[in-house]
Amino acid sequence: MNAKANITMTLLAAGAGWLFAIAPGVRAQQNGVQHASDFTSREYYGSTNQQQQVKSILSGAEALPQPGGLLTITQLKLEIFSPDGKLEWVVNAPECVYDTFKGVANSPGHLQVRTGDGKFRVAGNEGFLWRQSDNFLTISNNVRAVIENGAKMNTKP
Amino acid sequence: MKRFSLIVVAALCGGMVHAQTNVTAPGSPASATTHSPAAPPPPRAPTQIYSDNGADFDLSGHQAIFRGHVRVDDPEMKLTCALLVVDVPQGGGHPNQIVAETNVVIDFMDAKGQTNHATSDKSVYVYSEQGGVTNETVTLTGNPQPQMENAQGTQAGDVIIWTRVNGDIHVSLQGNFHASSRQNPSQIVTDTNSPPAKTNLPLGTIQNIDKVIQNTDAITQ
Repeated sequence: MNAKANITMTLLAAGAGWLFAIAPGVRAQQNGVQHASDFTSREYYGSTNQQQQVKSILSGAEALPQPGGLLTITQLKLEIFSPDGKLEWVVNAPECVYDTFKGVANSPGHLQVRTGDGKFRVAGNEGFLWRQSDNFLTISNNVRAVIENGAKMNTKP
Repeated sequence: MKRFSLIVVAALCGGMVHAQTNVTAPGSPASATTHSPAAPPPPRAPTQIYSDNGADFDLSGHQAIFRGHVRVDDPEMKLTCALLVVDVPQGGGHPNQIVAETNVVIDFMDAKGQTNHATSDKSVYVYSEQGGVTNETVTLTGNPQPQMENAQGTQAGDVIIWTRVNGDIHVSLQGNFHASSRQNPSQIVTDTNSPPAKTNLPLGTIQNIDKVIQNTDAITQ
């Protein structure tokens, strides 16, 4: 097994919900959490016609295990796809803590969210909480969003 | 140096060719048909939303909820409210509905450059595109009654509808529409609740009493 695969498997062992889909059998090793770097992991929709559609891709520069099932992730990037494969959301955060037991990620710092086409972008600098179970994200305090309007309106039929 | 000169000459020639695309050279059949396509419409500045008390995102439901002293800064209007819900289309694109609630204040400039100040309890912005035509309306409702102020005075109604693409403003009171269109007064809609023309009403209604009588006569004969 190569080094990167090892990293992924180690992260899987941390019990992060995103990562279960790849190797569910590894969950049994939850106590053997180790440091991981430059990792990527995928979650899939239920298989249809023997093809697995990617639901989300999680990547990060580093994952550092903490006591209590916590995982500190740096340079987090979460991409969420629709069942037909369209990129719907991209979430970026320089740092966050993921609770592997509760399935929530949070940070007191910066977060950026954008739609797949980038026309709707949101950013906050004062913390966030992401709940994996229902894909619900809360950004604290001062939030700024930008909606790209595209070309000027065509008013003639 | 020689290569640099060639690049400069090539760039200048390219620029000249580009500049001459609309020039019609007499006697040149090719140039007679050379028309550059219509210039694309200029891009609009983005709309920006700010909120003091954060925002919630239902990433699966494609909805964003902004809370607490929400400000919308748009090239054509400014809006403040306490709660703003944005429906984001699946896969991205322009939001197709934005609902503002509680102490909604909108300041906008119409097509003639006249400033308008609107207040309401609720406003619903709806955006749609069909066949290359964009429709954008802002509908003000709620209690207290929506109001619109401008240089002509103050108008209040149960419903105020502002059509952004042409600047029309419709004020409705108890279901009857009274319109003011500063951009094109000929488009004023006066009363949309007038009864419709005679319809295909079923037999037995008062409008068809003659036919009923005729039919009855036919049966008895």
